[in-house]
Amino acid sequence: MRWMLAGLLFALAVALAIFTAALRAENSRSRHRVEREYREVWDRVVEFKRLSIEKLSEASPQRLAAAHWRHLRAEEARQEARAQ
Amino acid sequence: MSIEKSELLRVRGAFAMLGVVPVFLAGWFGYVQVGQAGALERAGRAPLRLVPATADSQGSRQEKVPAPRGTIVDRHGNLLALDCETYEIRADIRVPMGVRDDVGEYRAWLAKVLDALSLALVADPDLADREDVRKRHVERLAKTLQRELRTGELPASGPVPSRHPGRADVLVAGGVDSLAIVEALRGLAAERWFGNVTLHFLRSYQRSYPERDLTYGLVGHTDTKWRKGAGGASWLETTGVCGLEAMAELRPDPSGARQFLADGRGRPYFLAPISDAPLPNVLHSTIDVDLQRIAVKELAAQAEAGAREGKVTVPKWGSMVLVEMATGDVLAAASWHRDEKNAQAASFTPYQSLCEPGSVVKPLVLAYAYEAGKLDWSAQFDCAPGSAEYRERIAHLGRRKPVRDDHDCHVLDPHGIIMNSSNIGAAYVGLMLEREEWEDYMECFGFGRPLGWSLPHGSVGGTNKRSFARDIPLRSFNANSAISFSFGYELQTSTLQMARAYLRMFRGRDAQLRICRGAEVDGQYQPAPSGIGGRAFRPEVVDAVRAAMMDVVSADPHATGTYMHARMLKELGIDLHGVVGGKTGTAASTIGIPGRGAVSVRNASFVGFLPADNPRWLAVCVLQKDDSARFYGGSYAAPPVVRLLLQCQQLEQRRLQRQEPANGASGQARDASGTPGDSGWSHAASESKALGR
Repeated sequence: MRWMLAGLLFALAVALAIFTAALRAENSRSRHRVEREYREVWDRVVEFKRLSIEKLSEASPQRLAAAHWRHLRAEEARQEARAQ
Repeated sequence: MSIEKSELLRVRGAFAMLGVVPVFLAGWFGYVQVGQAGALERAGRAPLRLVPATADSQGSRQEKVPAPRGTIVDRHGNLLALDCETYEIRADIRVPMGVRDDVGEYRAWLAKVLDALSLALVADPDLADREDVRKRHVERLAKTLQRELRTGELPASGPVPSRHPGRADVLVAGGVDSLAIVEALRGLAAERWFGNVTLHFLRSYQRSYPERDLTYGLVGHTDTKWRKGAGGASWLETTGVCGLEAMAELRPDPSGARQFLADGRGRPYFLAPISDAPLPNVLHSTIDVDLQRIAVKELAAQAEAGAREGKVTVPKWGSMVLVEMATGDVLAAASWHRDEKNAQAASFTPYQSLCEPGSVVKPLVLAYAYEAGKLDWSAQFDCAPGSAEYRERIAHLGRRKPVRDDHDCHVLDPHGIIMNSSNIGAAYVGLMLEREEWEDYMECFGFGRPLGWSLPHGSVGGTNKRSFARDIPLRSFNANSAISFSFGYELQTSTLQMARAYLRMFRGRDAQLRICRGAEVDGQYQPAPSGIGGRAFRPEVVDAVRAAMMDVVSADPHATGTYMHARMLKELGIDLHGVVGGKTGTAASTIGIPGRGAVSVRNASFVGFLPADNPRWLAVCVLQKDDSARFYGGSYAAPPVVRLLLQCQQLEQRRLQRQEPANGASGQARDASGTPGDSGWSHAASESKALGR
């Protein structure tokens, strides 16, 4: 009986060691994934900043006015064409 | 139940064998951790101690996080300058041992690396002329590798010499901000064949100026140079060269760092986000970007109008400023150059270009004399050139150049002297002042005194160095300097200095122009001191001068603003009399221009304010021509000032009607995380907000 208990305890110790190693491996794997995602997020922050500036300059009052004017001219031409 | 003896032996044997395993592991552990403990010898370096701390440090990595320079915003929170996050990509290239056996393979491997890198660098789908750009990248990288790996010294064939360098650290690209390129490079780094090349994505900032065309001289620019320290260490330092960029609030704090872990193959493991990176400072300028746009447009339109109409020559330079009277805030400052080749390198004329102001100083002279009790505002002066008063008070002084008026004037009171812009009348008033009073006049209106902005390259101007020399006889001072000062000669000022002089007349002797309203340093807003203060001129003095300047802009045929009054009535349908007050100025000077020697120039200037009865905005425009063509303040410098003032008033009315949010029309408030005004990765709090958007 006692040999059986000793064997079970040994098996438990081995299982514990394997479980601990697996847990540490999973921890490392998660940290690696988090690091990769962290960097990917910052890649997008960089892109976001670039696009923000790009859109900001595109939306300057002068450009918006020019775009509005183009739209009005196009609309006028369309209306004239329809009237004829 | 009985167990046979042989079976018992087998079981015991099996358990004994199992027991040997932990004993062996314990022994091995002791051997490695105790028996083998010590240090590893390293060539040229201190021995590596084999202790747990060494193991930890081997896995520890640090990522440098540069500090942002800071943000510049206008008075409504619109962005004028900010830091944009970018990557600097560096590659640690280790040539594989396998390809060193043959030079051909070595070259082919390098060509493959170059090709892959250059392809990744043109992965942005919006990139035009992709093939050309890729070729340029290949050429640039090939040159770098040739220098680092000395590929030009390799033999034509055979193995690569054993001492030939096999490792290089090269800059692949700087200022990379496109996700497509970053992803392409990260994908490349993950490929198996690329294992001998490690790409480092170093965080960096790139300065961005959203309204660049409007703010070259005002916001300025930065320059990055190598600096050398005492110990021979060198580093790159970015400094503001001119404009607001040179202000101390925009000097970045020391950069921070982020810790992470790496395994034996260099794979990164997350440890913590950035925790101690400094917040970007924010400089709140007084500029209103909408008014700045109007000022730039009006000044350029006026300066270029002559060329379009073919009637007059084009000025050499022009400048125009708009000031809020209540605060001394500079709302707009426009600069224009005829021969501008590079907007960034051109001088900022309101701050740096000097000229003799001419008649625009007459209201200041009369205000000073009236304030000092030397002038009776109801006094009458015979301003006819050959009058007895002229002979008695001016001609007898023996001045080399006689004092003349553009048009003949007769008996005038101080109001009439300003309205007619009479040089003779101004000279009479100027001669009432003592030499010490003239010195105080210069001090009072800030001529020859810096603006106190702590910005580089400002021009101070002032009087001639010998104007107030004590060895010059008083008679000579009166005959020359006093008379010249009276109508704006023998004196150099910038446009901003002239605006400050008028601000002081209206708002007090210590009034200063402000370009910065405050700064956010480490998240705390620090307002700049008010620009208004000092002993004010008596109300009757200010009212008298203001009333005279109101009549300058009228239909009166003797008023120097008649032309502009008629023009605006025709163009805009507005009778400016009583709406806008002002004073015209025209000066003919001789200046030295490098390569051209002494050149005759003419300065046209105009100082205007609105509303005329209770001024809220003050604008000054100066245009300078380097020829003797006809050029008058009333016809050339006045129209852009009047248009700017009127548009300023209209803009305010529109804003009141719109009830804009406090943070501005664009919504680009600085404190909104994730917006361009917020420097994304420099603060943990910003990070989470930015990511949550």
